[in-house]
Amino acid sequence: MTSLTGKQDRPGFTVSFREEGTTLFAQLAGEFSLQNLSAFTGQIKERISAAPPGAVIFDFSRVTYLDSAAALAFVNFRRTLSAGNVHCQEINISEDAKGIFSVIREEALDRTALAPDGGQGGFIQQIGQASLTIARDFFHFVTFLGDIITAFAYTLRHPTSLRGKDLLFYVKRAGVDGLPIVGLIGLLMGLIMAFMAYLQFKQFGANIYVPSLVSFAMVKELGPLMTAILVAGRSGSAYAAEIGTMVVNEEVDALRIMGFDPVRFLAVPKVLATVIVVPILTVYADVSGVIGGMIIGVTSLDLSLNSYVTQSIKAISVFDVVTSMIKAAVFAGLVSAVGCQRGFMVRAGAQDVGKFTTSAVVTAIFMIVVADSIFAIMLYYVRRYDSFS
Amino acid sequence: MKRNRKAVIEVRNLSARFGDNIVFEGVSFDVHQGEVLVIVGESGCGKSTLLRIMIGLQKPYAGQVFYEGTEITSASESVLNEYYRNIGVLFQAGALLSSMTIRENIELPLQAHTDLEADKINQIIKMKLGMVSLEGYDNHYPAELSGGMRKRAGIARAMALDPRVLFFDELSAGLDPVTAVELDDLITKTNEALGTTMVIVTHELESIYKIAHRVLMLDKQAAGIIAEGTPAELKERTDDQRVKSFFLRQSPAIPAHQGIYGDK
Repeated sequence: MTSLTGKQDRPGFTVSFREEGTTLFAQLAGEFSLQNLSAFTGQIKERISAAPPGAVIFDFSRVTYLDSAAALAFVNFRRTLSAGNVHCQEINISEDAKGIFSVIREEALDRTALAPDGGQGGFIQQIGQASLTIARDFFHFVTFLGDIITAFAYTLRHPTSLRGKDLLFYVKRAGVDGLPIVGLIGLLMGLIMAFMAYLQFKQFGANIYVPSLVSFAMVKELGPLMTAILVAGRSGSAYAAEIGTMVVNEEVDALRIMGFDPVRFLAVPKVLATVIVVPILTVYADVSGVIGGMIIGVTSLDLSLNSYVTQSIKAISVFDVVTSMIKAAVFAGLVSAVGCQRGFMVRAGAQDVGKFTTSAVVTAIFMIVVADSIFAIMLYYVRRYDSFS
Repeated sequence: MKRNRKAVIEVRNLSARFGDNIVFEGVSFDVHQGEVLVIVGESGCGKSTLLRIMIGLQKPYAGQVFYEGTEITSASESVLNEYYRNIGVLFQAGALLSSMTIRENIELPLQAHTDLEADKINQIIKMKLGMVSLEGYDNHYPAELSGGMRKRAGIARAMALDPRVLFFDELSAGLDPVTAVELDDLITKTNEALGTTMVIVTHELESIYKIAHRVLMLDKQAAGIIAEGTPAELKERTDDQRVKSFFLRQSPAIPAHQGIYGDK
């Protein structure tokens, strides 16, 4: 029975029925297992529903093999039949089969599962729960921002409490290690933008505006935006996963017990490193973009290197570069704070780590876009005020 | 050894819940100074939850925990920090920070709570590593150590500040018998030498007989403490089936399958 024959569907059983008055005798023979469960239950059910008997007796004397699933099927027959006031009985059960039957605890079958925290309710309840989750999420994030700001204030007053080694580590991770990808994406974006602009502008003979378009767009919008999104993917997710895993391993609890504020210990170096590094990355991305545009400009637009650079610089002011860096710093703060906060929200298990890592990136990108819109409006008014004075 | 009966930690009417599920209710007991108190019970009876509440990492559903008369369960951050200066905790898997060496891990509590010079801290670290027989492993990372060594390193870190009370969660879970015995010896030695009060959650019967001064038994069905006493006393107790089956390592009688052989 335990040998592996490779046979997939072995009927291996027979059920023969015999009637005595209203009592139905079912003589079972052969193997009854998970493999032929639906076959034999189907046969028995069919027979019982075809001519409902007054009593059913299952004879197990010729059963050669029985597993727990098959035994459960017979227990269920007895339960459903008894519920319909039909007497049901199993006879001639071998010692082995008795052992199988003994592991089935009927009270466990009827036990309803305990409701864990926040069970699923109806549609309205789910809407309510979802809204509560969003509200709680927002509340969490605001609380966390407060935590981070107090932690920063503490670090400012006690600069020695900042772990320099950690700070440098994350500067390297978020900044230095990110240079190749930020540079490459910036370069390609400049290249594509210049090429697209060239295709349009050449119809009006306005090629000379390609450099200004590229540098204007890169510095004012695309540079900070793209860098922040890349950092959200590279570092924000890493922060969430790192802190989340530490929560799961009770390392965060251990820190707490050892007298460290986990936010100060874990989040401050990460956020600070990101805020330092992202504006620099942004400038790097801007320059890469301009260089990308320049490759098109010099090779296809008949612009000299000199005139391309002059045109590029003409389009932007120091104000633009500075606001671009400020924007990048704000994005960096949001991305890293969301990453850390999502990490701290992990409760237990690998699945939670994955869930909150994803959430860290998605929320970060959403926040970058919202912050960028706010900046666009703010800078518009700042500039208007500027031109009046 | 002599122990006075002064209570260091008082637990009063503590209840914990997860959703609908009542973990335990109305749990009250004292932890006396200098004793080794072992909390036992089947899985899921809330031993770890009880420990986390006593440490202040989790809020109870109801009830209080006092450390030398100060309430922990609703304490402010600064009171809790003061409390943490007096206790050490060994978490289930050691909970060493994986990005730091063993040395840096043990250094953490010393950095947080003292302003000793580097060479004094270094001396203390070497002493603590010696106490748990891990001398020479200063610069290893936790991932480079075995489970038992990680646990011992965790103990060294928990003991770094010479705490008044040490908490151990699942002391010998996942350790081989030899390492487990070594840990037991370490605990007895530390308790005798330093008089540290210890609260230990464990399943290991042998450990319990060896290290425990007093045992508390929690039960899931009863949702609270069902027995208390020295290990020897509890072993002799035969009136309660649950205590008996735990200490004599019997499986509680599985309810007999009814109906199926009724007619035989």
